[in-house]
Amino acid sequence: MSTETVTFNLNDRDITVPKGTTVMEAAHKHNVYIPHFCWHPGLSIAGVCRFCLVKVDNRPKLEIACNLQATPGMKVSTLLPEVKEAHKWALEFHLVNHPLDCPICDQAGECKLQDFYMEVGKYKSEMDRPKVLKPKALDVGSELVLDTERCILCDRCVRFEQEVTKTGALGIFNRGDRAVVGTYPDKKIEHNYQDNLVDICPVGAFTSRDFRFKQRVWFLKDQPAVCPGCSTGCHVKVYGKPQVRTYFRVKPQESEVNGHWMCDVGRKTYKHLNQDQRLRFAVAADGKGGRQRVSVAEAIASLALQLQGVAASDIALLVSPQYTCEEYDALFAFFVKKLGVSKVFQWREPTENLDAFDGLLYRGDHNPNTFGLSEALAKAGLPKDVKNGFEDLARSGAKVVVALAPEIEFQFPSLAGQLQKLSELAFVSVWTTSGSAYNVKGLRHLVPLKGFAEKKGTFRNFQGKVGELAKPFPAAVDEAKDVVEVVTALAEVWAHA
Amino acid sequence: MILQTEGLPDQHSLKTYVEKVNGYTAARKVLGGMSREQVIEEVKQAGLRGRGGAGFLTGLKWSFVPKDITGPKYLICNNDESEPGTFKDRYLCITNPHQVIEGMIIAAYAIGANKGYIYTRWEYQEEIRYLENAIKEAYDAGLLGKNLFGSGFDFDLDHYTGAGAYICGEETGLISSLEGKKGQPKVKPPFPAVSGYLSRPTIVNNTETLANVPWIINNGAKAFRQFGTEKSPGTKLFSISGALNKPGVYEVPLGYPFASLLNIEAGGMQPGRTLKALIPGGASAPVLTPAECEGLTMDFEAMAQRNTMLGSGAVMVIDDRQSMAELLKVTIEFFAHESCGQCTPCREGTGWLNNIMDGIMDRSAKPDNIARLGSVARNMGGKTICALSDACAMPVMSYVQKFSGELQAYLAAGSGGHSK
Repeated sequence: MSTETVTFNLNDRDITVPKGTTVMEAAHKHNVYIPHFCWHPGLSIAGVCRFCLVKVDNRPKLEIACNLQATPGMKVSTLLPEVKEAHKWALEFHLVNHPLDCPICDQAGECKLQDFYMEVGKYKSEMDRPKVLKPKALDVGSELVLDTERCILCDRCVRFEQEVTKTGALGIFNRGDRAVVGTYPDKKIEHNYQDNLVDICPVGAFTSRDFRFKQRVWFLKDQPAVCPGCSTGCHVKVYGKPQVRTYFRVKPQESEVNGHWMCDVGRKTYKHLNQDQRLRFAVAADGKGGRQRVSVAEAIASLALQLQGVAASDIALLVSPQYTCEEYDALFAFFVKKLGVSKVFQWREPTENLDAFDGLLYRGDHNPNTFGLSEALAKAGLPKDVKNGFEDLARSGAKVVVALAPEIEFQFPSLAGQLQKLSELAFVSVWTTSGSAYNVKGLRHLVPLKGFAEKKGTFRNFQGKVGELAKPFPAAVDEAKDVVEVVTALAEVWAHA
Repeated sequence: MILQTEGLPDQHSLKTYVEKVNGYTAARKVLGGMSREQVIEEVKQAGLRGRGGAGFLTGLKWSFVPKDITGPKYLICNNDESEPGTFKDRYLCITNPHQVIEGMIIAAYAIGANKGYIYTRWEYQEEIRYLENAIKEAYDAGLLGKNLFGSGFDFDLDHYTGAGAYICGEETGLISSLEGKKGQPKVKPPFPAVSGYLSRPTIVNNTETLANVPWIINNGAKAFRQFGTEKSPGTKLFSISGALNKPGVYEVPLGYPFASLLNIEAGGMQPGRTLKALIPGGASAPVLTPAECEGLTMDFEAMAQRNTMLGSGAVMVIDDRQSMAELLKVTIEFFAHESCGQCTPCREGTGWLNNIMDGIMDRSAKPDNIARLGSVARNMGGKTICALSDACAMPVMSYVQKFSGELQAYLAAGSGGHSK
């Protein structure tokens, strides 16, 4: 955008914006909200919903703010009665054939049509004729269900397919009020960004197979977080019901890292946070060759005892790049700086291709903090090699191994096998969120950890950009700790032993 | 001016056009020494207004093409004639296709386009045959292609057949269709003169408009202005239909009295029939009552004074047998069918109006639905990317205003007092 500016008048206020700015963009930047459906900042301008009408002085017709460039001296109003009346009628037209099924619609509570109707609607509808019926519950993609009856033909989904994923699976077929959005013959939406269509759909036409009918959105709470699914580190919001220890979905939060989008893999990263997936308590060796459930404090005390019984050269760390910078710092401060441990290995999926990238967001490095781990390793004076260190660990002859298991299990298909192999090493303490670790009976020491949405800290993405986990949910598992808490407690026990 | 070869033997042929009416002398004159600016200025001076319906000044439109831009520019002849009642371009292309081609050569030179298209809807097979034959004749005679008249100017012309949609007659809808996409209008700006076909500068002119250009070049702007009115100079093709003795296409000067068009050219109403209403400019034009037809002249200004429009010159004479409710129903049904479905007020509004009319036809509508036709139409108009929404809204509002009694009677009696 040009460095030149233009000054125009919006609702009797002079506003200066960069040349080329539309009235819509200028208005939103200056807290004047212009209702709209088809306009989306991440997509090209379609100008089809005709909802964002504004009045420009000395021009005969109302004009759409989304395609109207601000020019010097232009005087624009969003408040005149004729503009308000036009907004009411725009909604009336949108609702002519839209089913009034809000009580059973999955979009209720976050539907722009519903919101705008409450805000600027025509409360006494003019429509008293039967509505046009269209196909419902269509299977258009592995993650999606399409209800064409609720669709308001805003064209956002079609443009997303054309402009963002460039897959072009969607089109608008037929004409007039028979027009429907749909997939081209023999095509389905198959990419890794399907749920963005649900996000950008302003009504309940596209719904997510994963989320639909699971929860009314007004019961959910959301927290900002960073997606742990790959090294892009998309800024996201995690939605859950803390009171029942359940998470329901992850959605993107606009940022310079990810723009408006995120991938479907990232959206599934909430699943392991739910209580039924979690390691819910600590486990420690019972001294008789078996193991028993203990408190985390007892588990930490038991680990301290193990560590004191061996030389630093017999201790090894196996670290997954899915933990925060702060957690690595605490871990290395204790084990490397204080105990003098030098055997530090990285837990990597053997088949991963770090250089893979789909051109949009999803990267082959399925860890959110490879950058942060490398930096922490370097800070601790250790080699920051990112190769899979599991074989080296097996050969290292360590007698006590502390392993930070990958948090996002589905990104690590070999996890179960590796846990099993680990259990065959001398004494292995696995710190993890994963309930499946409990099923590997050979593992005689387990510490339950908090997930990414439940702790504070930072990830550094593939470019080194910082993503903050700033406002954690309370952990779904009471016993869970983050690595900083575990190491702090361990250091304390160690100091007093 | 336009139908110069009408009635001559082989009226459509190159031979007739060249030998009988000095065809292609204007193109030769332009390419033999006139500058682009001079051509545009001559057309501007002539005051030629677009004959497709909007009546925009042709020379002015040409001047919008950026001059300092390199790369391809395009000229498109909008021959997609689909407004109900309109068949004048079809007649022109069958009668005198070479004048359209010559007009295109001159227009292309004026805007700096080396490539042109004529866009016709698929249904008009006879017209397509004549046009394609004329293009072939012109190529064979060296009147199209490279280095025309030794001027160094190249102009290639193709004929393109659309699948048939009303909205492909709207210039950006036509361009979408020509690009191989769904025929639906594009949001403006950018305007086609700056970014049109394949995002390149493009001028879209109506067939009849282009056919006027050779005459203007040959005879001068002043001579052109001897016909018509000050603001509507030249002649105009009118396709007049209805219960008339001689319906057809007539070329008369703009400003010609409607009464003369009706009674002299079209031979008057058929015996026993009286004028009930007039649709002066195609189905999208607001309807006039017989009283409003008193003293009416056929030009842009006179129509505007009566809150209607000249449109494409499709004069539909409605006689006393016609039910206005049924006429309105088919009019709305047409626009609801042809709405591309892109803009909400048009997509839903045309369908809604059609739905209400269904109710009036089968008497399931509520009495206040007739007024609702008007309120829905009022709120559709002027709010969409193209004018299809207005094209439906304008006649609806005029019928509700002028014939609501008949609509009410139809709703009450099921037939409006007319035998079905």
